[in-house]
Amino acid sequence: MNVGYLVRELYYQKRRTLTAILGLSIGIALLVILNALSMAYRQAAHAPLKEIGADITVQRPGDVPKDLAGAVFPCSAVTIRKEEVEKIRSLPGIKGMGKAVLLWVFDTKQAWIVLGIEQNNTIGPAVLRSAVAEGKFLEDGKSESLVEMSYARQFGIKVGDTVSVNGSRFPVVGLLDASQAAKIAVANLYLSLADAEGIAASSKNLQSVSPFALGDVNLLFIKADQEKITDLAASLKGILGKKATVATPDSFLKLLGSLFALSDKFTLAASLIAIIVAVLIAFKTMAGNIAERAREIGVLKAVGWTNRNVVAQLLAESIIQCFLAGLLGLLIALVVTFGLSFMKVNIPIPWDMAPNPHFLPGGGDQIYKTLRLPVHIPWTLASFAVLLSIVIGGLTGALLGRHVAKIKPSEVLRHE
Amino acid sequence: MNNSKILSGSDLSKKYGELEVVKGVSIYVAAGEFVCLVGKSGCGKTTLLSLLSGLEHPTKGKVVLSGKEITDTSEDDLALFRRENVGFIFQSFNLIPTLSAWENVALPLFPVKISNEERRRRATELLEQMELGHRMEHLPSALSGGEKQRVAIARALINKPKILFADEPTGNLDSATGDAIMEILNRLHTKEGVAILMVTHEAELAKTADRLVRMHDGEIAS
Repeated sequence: MNVGYLVRELYYQKRRTLTAILGLSIGIALLVILNALSMAYRQAAHAPLKEIGADITVQRPGDVPKDLAGAVFPCSAVTIRKEEVEKIRSLPGIKGMGKAVLLWVFDTKQAWIVLGIEQNNTIGPAVLRSAVAEGKFLEDGKSESLVEMSYARQFGIKVGDTVSVNGSRFPVVGLLDASQAAKIAVANLYLSLADAEGIAASSKNLQSVSPFALGDVNLLFIKADQEKITDLAASLKGILGKKATVATPDSFLKLLGSLFALSDKFTLAASLIAIIVAVLIAFKTMAGNIAERAREIGVLKAVGWTNRNVVAQLLAESIIQCFLAGLLGLLIALVVTFGLSFMKVNIPIPWDMAPNPHFLPGGGDQIYKTLRLPVHIPWTLASFAVLLSIVIGGLTGALLGRHVAKIKPSEVLRHE
Repeated sequence: MNNSKILSGSDLSKKYGELEVVKGVSIYVAAGEFVCLVGKSGCGKTTLLSLLSGLEHPTKGKVVLSGKEITDTSEDDLALFRRENVGFIFQSFNLIPTLSAWENVALPLFPVKISNEERRRRATELLEQMELGHRMEHLPSALSGGEKQRVAIARALINKPKILFADEPTGNLDSATGDAIMEILNRLHTKEGVAILMVTHEAELAKTADRLVRMHDGEIAS
């Protein structure tokens, strides 16, 4: 292989070189963009759960008492018994668990959405610790409360006040800005898990439709092995019944409804098509190149180049062209993905995961988690694309070697 | 010129399907001899040249070139053999359009493991002999027909071949330029002792050769 000959051939035959490079680069760019988008949607689908430090949330739907008075469970989250929680904890693939009790409390003067949380658990709503705007977070072992800021403003609640919920009084130790917080597991009033359990256990109205004992909960947040999430989702339904609401990144991905979010199969199929198109373009261009250069190849053979010498030269040209196409494709993909990163994606939060009573004004509105599409090209994908380009170049060059062997110098050099 | 044969073809035939283009031809070229193969267009001259130079395998007969029978040699071995023993000059020059004059001359050396400086040195020497020292870096598109053919002759000589095969070397040139090319070939033959087998349909050009071989309808006429 002669480098000078290679460079001059690529440089002087600009049209041919550019056609080959552009054609293949589009295929490579398509492959990279499709995969980057697919990964971005997957990452976006993780966002609602990631924000509460979990991979899976679990709740069980049930009935609401006819008389909405005092503390009741939302119909989307009724009792998960202590024994069921322990059974779930022992499932393979579970790395950690957070528990919570979500209540609707209808007092005579106002309604509360109450969330009882484990203050020191990093899995679950306690991640809101960072959202305290005024005052302090709940302390372990103390009966105190946090109020959501806009709710506090609406009802004139301040740090240091005491709020009365279902007949129990709680000092307000802090205000929480939940506007930037996760869209699931949000409330007006945050209590310790023990206090919320106490309210639930003492509510006759609640007990009449969903028996609840201390130690029971109605929301679970699970941290799990990524590879086992699908299996775990099935096991959880096995324990809590088919109607249980098990939210996973995959279930959010399905809610996105985008083509890219549909399945790995779609991305795989589209990527394969992009690769096949890229290979065909490279092959066609190189085949045309060889047909166009039959006379030149005849000269090379006549002056003493062996088939291997000729193939090595064309193979090197093919690999360099495809390598450049890979780099250009990557550059195109970088520009396109940069543009796409400004795109907003709205992830719908299912109604049964939204804490608001749907019969209150605005309660039935669809809630979205909105974020910028986290699209980027990881090094692994970039390296794969460039490597693939080189492989395509190598394969194309090697396949066309057979055509080179068929070129007879005596035939192509016969004078006019 | 000595009398040892540098090239001999015995009972050579070439068929393309049913069409027999060369019919039982026997021919030789002695070392340092200038042989002209003349005949009308389509009489089989170029095909015979291809058979004798190892560019094509005969349907029948054998070719011995520089003491080696090349008739059944593989294509790659033939290429290597050509690189070291044979030079070609074509009617239409057949220079590589993307390579400079010196690179075209050095083309047969590209697969050889020698330094680029050495390639350039050898190409420069030959181009200077062809009075083209000032055109070293020019692309073929910037050269005249005569210059192109002189570059092609230099390329044919780069490996110091024992025999040159020239297929209508002046066919694309005006008569003055053609004469100049013939002068170079004659000089190579007389001063350098290079054997030449030249195909032409112009009887006038053949006058300078040591020997004339006439072909007619695929056979040697005289």
